[in-house]
Amino acid sequence: MLESVRPGVPRLPEWAHALIFLIVGLLGWYFLDDTWVRMLFLVTLYATLGMGLNVVVGLAGLLDLGFVAFFATGAYVVAIWGAPISPSVDGVVNYWVLLPMAVFAGAGIGMLLGLPVLPLRGDYLAIVTLGFGEIIRILALNMDDYTRGSSGIFALAKPDYGAETVDSVREFFIMILIAAMAVWFVTARLRDSKVGRAWEAIREDEDVAQGMGINTVRYKLMAFAIGASIGALGGAIYAPFVDFVAPAQFSLIVSINVLALVIIGGMGNTTGVIAGSAMLIGVPELLQFQETADVLAKFEWLRDGLNVFIDGFNAVSFADLGKLPPSEEWGDKLALYRFIVFGALLVMVMVLRPSGLFPSRRRELEFTAEEPAPAGSA
Amino acid sequence: MTVIFLTSAEFWADQLVNGLTTGSIYALIALGYTMVYGVLQLINFAHGEVFMIGSFAGYGVLVAMGGDDTSGAMIALALVLAMIAASAASMGTALAIERIAYRPLRNAPRLAPLISAIGVSVFLSHLVDDGFLTGRSKYYPSIFPDGALELGPLTISALQIFLMGSSLAMMGGLWWVIQRTKLGRGIRAVAESRDNASLMGIDVNRAIVVTFALGAIMAGVAGVLYGLFYSAIRGSMGFIPGVKAFTAAVLGGIGSVQGAVIGGYFLGLTETVGRELLNEIPGVSLPNQWKDVVAFSLLVLVLIFRPNGIFGQKETKRA
Repeated sequence: MLESVRPGVPRLPEWAHALIFLIVGLLGWYFLDDTWVRMLFLVTLYATLGMGLNVVVGLAGLLDLGFVAFFATGAYVVAIWGAPISPSVDGVVNYWVLLPMAVFAGAGIGMLLGLPVLPLRGDYLAIVTLGFGEIIRILALNMDDYTRGSSGIFALAKPDYGAETVDSVREFFIMILIAAMAVWFVTARLRDSKVGRAWEAIREDEDVAQGMGINTVRYKLMAFAIGASIGALGGAIYAPFVDFVAPAQFSLIVSINVLALVIIGGMGNTTGVIAGSAMLIGVPELLQFQETADVLAKFEWLRDGLNVFIDGFNAVSFADLGKLPPSEEWGDKLALYRFIVFGALLVMVMVLRPSGLFPSRRRELEFTAEEPAPAGSA
Repeated sequence: MTVIFLTSAEFWADQLVNGLTTGSIYALIALGYTMVYGVLQLINFAHGEVFMIGSFAGYGVLVAMGGDDTSGAMIALALVLAMIAASAASMGTALAIERIAYRPLRNAPRLAPLISAIGVSVFLSHLVDDGFLTGRSKYYPSIFPDGALELGPLTISALQIFLMGSSLAMMGGLWWVIQRTKLGRGIRAVAESRDNASLMGIDVNRAIVVTFALGAIMAGVAGVLYGLFYSAIRGSMGFIPGVKAFTAAVLGGIGSVQGAVIGGYFLGLTETVGRELLNEIPGVSLPNQWKDVVAFSLLVLVLIFRPNGIFGQKETKRA
């Protein structure tokens, strides 16, 4: 019964979505220049982070507002043990040892944070994770003996393969693409397993789930640890890519970015997460490219036309609306105003399409079915 | 260690006063969290931004009334007008948020209003920061007269007296509204049980709106006091005080009005005095930012050991 939500509209199976994403990525990698591949890297990185947070928020229904903490954990593990400059550790550990170390550290920190709060109700989790994200940043800023504080750690050890090292944008893109595919596979298998059904049961009604014999704390902790380790994996790949790890990169904004793309893309749905990442991370980057500016320049007449109207309005009213900026500034403006748009989008999506723009099939079913208002709750 | 304790009574007295000052700001903001939570079981994530808008409205009035050059009786008038404008702006913001982002989701799954609240919070703080201020801070005019009261080792500046006094007055007013008026009785009834209150003929929607309005008035006044005390204001200013005030509300037992006030003062004292006490341990040196770490650690500890709050009795776990 889950096969078709709208009868008559055939839908591609999920592995086909993954294949399309892989082919598009590889085509981009082959044909486009480095600036574009850099954008593709960021989109794929955030999509991977989104898949991790999706396990926590979309599947298990736990609101985690401090996802950046795990991202930072991964990055700092790779930086502290992998950079000669790091003050507390002598020598350099091979990247391929550090990568699993970072993933385990993420899972460990996730469990450490989850253990005290997961038995409590969900709202508390949101605030505690929010606070925890800030604590990690403040710790990184102040523990100079380990993190070099705000000066940050750079010149990290790069991953190597054979005699080569991964040091170009293109090589890093392949790396994150492999990571994204692996994470997609793992999370999709988990979702379709007993574990995934337990998560969804907890998300829908924790008391009922417990009544059905699900050990809710254990499964919530598992979701939290898996999400955290994916966040750390992203951080561990991001750190050598930018080759600089400093507290300023791990602000609340990263958490909000990831949360926004998961929710706007469609909670519980990996294809939606990728679409969300392309929209929220890719588009603002894209608009800053010279090529885009050249294309947009062809629409300057539209701007001029609109400016005539605005001038007219300014002339008859007391207000001064200014003018629309020339097209080469649009990308910068959108990057600047991005979070204003995010905030408004979050509210709009919640109010108009609470299941996201591309909801998972099961969610779509839930939201289209007539649902009686739960009595007594908010 | 003892030597430092004995020689610096003034130092500890200063910390005490500072703790009470920040505590009263936390308490005022915490009231908004706890009241909304009481009636809707919703963490109003955008409350920190309601506080921020109030602070900016107050700033606008103070600048319009002459800024740094205000003098004499005009200072008192400017302060009163600033607080009224701040309360009105905060109230307008809170009511708009309730109408647009919360009311349509009142029967939605729990996560939905929480996410929409975060959306409002991101929208408002970035609208002010990126849209209007482009990353710069504004500075409150320093119009408050100097002068201080000395009581033995205690030195309290006139501004601190004003701050603590006006927050106490606001809390007294709120207590009167909640305990002594028909509106307040409605709010208490809705907090007890929304369905039963509705059956008793209470307009539940109105009670919810009034709750948001009262919390916003407190936050608006807190915004002006914050601006006078810390001077720099910006769009993201609501975040840390917001989280701290929520912590205060949890400390006192969320949903409880007295608890929020006690929690606010308790948190203010703990993070100033607590950090200095930790600094007394040889070899430990905690910069000012560690205040936040102290506060958040306190929140986690309370949630583990006393999920109903240090002073709360009601069962809030899995409510």
